[in-house]
Amino acid sequence: MNNQDSLFPTSPSSPSPPSSPTALSVSELIATLRRAVEGATGTVWIKGEISSFKAYGSGHWYFTLRDPESSIKCVMWKSYTIKVGATPIDGTEIYALVTPTVWAEKGELKATVQVMLPTAGVGIQQLNREKVRAALERDGLLDPSRKRALPPYPRSIAVVTSAEGAALRDIITVIRKRWSSVRLLVVGAKVQGDGAARDLCRALRLVNRLPGIDLCIVGRGGGSKEDLHAFDDEKVCRAVAALQMPVISAVGHETDASLTDLVADRRAATPSAAAELAVSDQGDCLRHVGSLSSRLAHGLRRRTGLVAQRLARSGDRIQVAMARRILEPQTLLDRYAGQLEALSPLKVLGRGYSVARLADGRVARRRADLPPGTDFTLRVSDGEVSSHAD
Amino acid sequence: MAETPDTLSADLRRLEEIVRTLESDDTDLDKALGLFEEGVARLRAARDRLGEAEARVQKVLEDAAGQLRVSDFEE
Repeated sequence: MNNQDSLFPTSPSSPSPPSSPTALSVSELIATLRRAVEGATGTVWIKGEISSFKAYGSGHWYFTLRDPESSIKCVMWKSYTIKVGATPIDGTEIYALVTPTVWAEKGELKATVQVMLPTAGVGIQQLNREKVRAALERDGLLDPSRKRALPPYPRSIAVVTSAEGAALRDIITVIRKRWSSVRLLVVGAKVQGDGAARDLCRALRLVNRLPGIDLCIVGRGGGSKEDLHAFDDEKVCRAVAALQMPVISAVGHETDASLTDLVADRRAATPSAAAELAVSDQGDCLRHVGSLSSRLAHGLRRRTGLVAQRLARSGDRIQVAMARRILEPQTLLDRYAGQLEALSPLKVLGRGYSVARLADGRVARRRADLPPGTDFTLRVSDGEVSSHAD
Repeated sequence: MAETPDTLSADLRRLEEIVRTLESDDTDLDKALGLFEEGVARLRAARDRLGEAEARVQKVLEDAAGQLRVSDFEE
């Protein structure tokens, strides 16, 4: 007796082995099962809890969906995972739009997932939101190329929010602190509850009728998903998209963006953050202007200093006096109108003079300063020339 | 409030250009003086804009006839 005999004992009751043409290969079996599995349900919504979630560098996600009795392994390809707002975590209950199938290599039942939505407090509202989003996307309203740049120094800003809410106070406080001379036009609107969407649309349309508005902020402070619902309304989103000036959407929320955030030119996490985006810091701007002012004065001083040196040596007292005046560009800055007229002789004197400077910066004044072989720089009216004394 | 266009950013951009040109040494004196003069005018405009008085917060309402009314916002 050999081992093979003991492993495969033959007895009269055993079925006789099939001849090879009638045996299915493993691949054939799996292919048949796959057709059966895929045909059984087609693409279908299932509900379950995520476990063993793993996101690969390739962008594909692998996880298991389970309920108390059963589980199924799932894969979500990158082309679908990129459309999911946040990476899910184990324990999250989701709705998943899946196509069940059988993977050949391990003979494994798998569900390929196309859409996932957390079940927590969403239901019909969330499904509706997805529908609105798809409609906005189809009409190009979410297109990045639609986004307008915010004006760097707006004068008039319209704010669409509740006239009683904390959001408005925050916006007023931040803007006053940053740039006090911005004019704020408050267009009050109901931001939650029945009729909020309609009222927001009315307020947004009203903003378009106000003259001279550089920027609009629309939003509200944080709230429950139900409270923020109006900012997912299709008509509100379309009214935001129709604003004639750049718009910042600021709807306080912890996780998902509101659809108005996606339609607006910029989004901010809170109304305060929107106000900071909206206006620059006036102090920073003043310091910048101050620095430009001194650089302007210094720039002219450098430019005229060389001419002035020549004038100083010319012995002409009138010209010396003139040179002193142009050495003080700050004076020019204060009283430039009359002074610039007085400077007109320089327009002639600026041509035809040049100054030779040695390597150490001294001005060459006499032959002894320039022995043969000396390198020096010749400053002429429009720049410098490297020179050499023979 | 006067609705003058926002020229502050244009003024600042042009000022930066002028300053860079003046600092580059290769401008001739005629041109340097012209640029300086323009720079001073733009600095003045920028300072005027920065020195504007504190603006108001106003509210906008639409009356029954559809007219827009702007009034001070009660804080």
